[in-house]
Amino acid sequence: MKSLVTIHEGRAANWALRLVAGAAVIGVMLWVPTHGSNPLIDQFTNAFVLMAAAMSLNLLLGYTGQISLGHNAFFGIGAYATGIIVSRWGWSPLVTFPIAFIVAFVIGVLVSLPALRIKGIYLALVTLALGLVFPQFIKWRKLTWLTGGPRGLDNAGFNFSKKRRTYEIFGWNPFGDMRGQGAKPFYFWIAAGVVVITYLVCRGVVKSRSGRSLIAIRDNETAAAVMGVNLAGTKAMAFGISAGLCALPGCVSTILTNNVVPDSTFLSIAGSITFLIVMVIGGAGSLWGPIIGSGLYVFITQKTGDWSDEKNIPAIIRPFFSWAKTSPGTGIFAVTLIALMFVAPRGIVGVWHQHSPRLMRIVPRRAGTGTGTGTLVDTPVDDTVAGEL
Amino acid sequence: MSLLEVSTLRAGYGPVNVLVDLNLVVEEGEIVVILGSNGAGKTTTMRAISGMIARSGSITFAGQSITKSSPDAIVRAGIAQVPQGRGTFPELSVEDNLRAGAFVRNDDEIDEDLAHWFEVFPRLRERREQRAGSLSGGEQQMVAIARALMSRPKLLLCDEPSLGLAPLITQELFGIIASLNRDKGLSVLLVEQNANLAMKIARRVYLIETGRIVASGSSDELSADDSIRKAYLGF
Repeated sequence: MKSLVTIHEGRAANWALRLVAGAAVIGVMLWVPTHGSNPLIDQFTNAFVLMAAAMSLNLLLGYTGQISLGHNAFFGIGAYATGIIVSRWGWSPLVTFPIAFIVAFVIGVLVSLPALRIKGIYLALVTLALGLVFPQFIKWRKLTWLTGGPRGLDNAGFNFSKKRRTYEIFGWNPFGDMRGQGAKPFYFWIAAGVVVITYLVCRGVVKSRSGRSLIAIRDNETAAAVMGVNLAGTKAMAFGISAGLCALPGCVSTILTNNVVPDSTFLSIAGSITFLIVMVIGGAGSLWGPIIGSGLYVFITQKTGDWSDEKNIPAIIRPFFSWAKTSPGTGIFAVTLIALMFVAPRGIVGVWHQHSPRLMRIVPRRAGTGTGTGTLVDTPVDDTVAGEL
Repeated sequence: MSLLEVSTLRAGYGPVNVLVDLNLVVEEGEIVVILGSNGAGKTTTMRAISGMIARSGSITFAGQSITKSSPDAIVRAGIAQVPQGRGTFPELSVEDNLRAGAFVRNDDEIDEDLAHWFEVFPRLRERREQRAGSLSGGEQQMVAIARALMSRPKLLLCDEPSLGLAPLITQELFGIIASLNRDKGLSVLLVEQNANLAMKIARRVYLIETGRIVASGSSDELSADDSIRKAYLGF
């Protein structure tokens, strides 16, 4: 296939391309919290929470091929770790992140023990049980002293003073007005930080030797084992890291709403399903898939949020959605999912990988450094075998 | 001391023993072939040696017992396996497949080895960015062999490399295996149904039937034996 532009990896053009892409991302990230409207900042923050959760699931399902329908429980562990520590003991919400990670990591490794023996639909069922039990467990009467029961916990976020406080850097005010719950840009940065950390961890894992071993296990378990990959240890580690990462956006969700209740969407099984869907639509098994999927999901649900009132639907598509008594966002996403499974089973990122070579091709560096001397190049068939056969 | 000594090996799946009392030896620098029909226990033998299934008896490799070792310890000891069928990682690129083969290594010569095996398998170099799953059957088998060699094994286990390949491709693969043995002194234990071709490159042959070795000897001896020739070579 001929492409319009061919760029060699490591050359100036490649670096320029990376620079432009990086500058665009950083530009948006700086513009939104300082110049965007509050609803826009909220939209980004919510998308970040979903992104981090979907990325953590992607590490497990997209790369290691182990399904989990219980990630809402890990999300909830993070949410409650922050809730309990801040609300009951009054610690700063920021210190709850590492604690949430460790707790979820340990529970993730424990959950992975059955996963070492079972696969596919059976693993889905075991993790589904975890996802279903979690909200019930939180509401257990004997745990009310800790979790607050069905009513949940209040005052679980940052407790800003009523006085106006701003942190200006050379006239630039990155955190906005830090009063009460009005500090939208501040929350934006926390959520963005979690996404960046999750991305870097996922990237670090995936692009390394251990990342190859994860994909190897997904693609061909037997072959991976005979290459010397420790199946049990690698799977348990992937489960633990994925669970720990999923707890981080859970912490953010508690900080955002300043409270935590057991029946909120992402803590129930609907959370796991949402993570799964945005991951698949974006592109499972790719680093950018969950990011794009989450962005799209939040964009669509936000755009269609007030479509329950017919007047708010753009005239051109009004006939299609006027029957909806509630916001059709989830429905649109469901139909998109079904359609995508036909035209793009590898998600949006898969479509990009399929068609981008027409536009631009990046040629990677040549492999290896040495120049081994070929011995079989000219004699592919040995003379003892060739001839009479 | 032989490179690989397997004696009174029992192995199987769950309560069922496929291998009853298996004995075989691979000397350093030779190609040994195990011939047998479907269900005789050929693949089970391979899996037992590479530590993938429960086993009892004794397996000694280069003077060390590996009967109780885990699969990764066995790879580290110097046994690499080319698994049956298309044993590649289809979603990884050809290069990453090869790098996965060096998983147990921790030295800084991996890039050199990679370049070396791309010299040996020029067709893989042309396709090194491609998904391994998009390659032809013969090329995938080459990937699987090159990947196994990336762990710098002393002994290569090949489980039916000819499975599902056209005769010409099979011939080329066997040629590669033979020259690896001849030029690099690699010892090879080969499991095959394609007796004709396998016996041409092997020095010694074992016949396996229902979990036991029923006959063994040099390739010439066995192909001279009338009953064996009729049963396994078909002429």
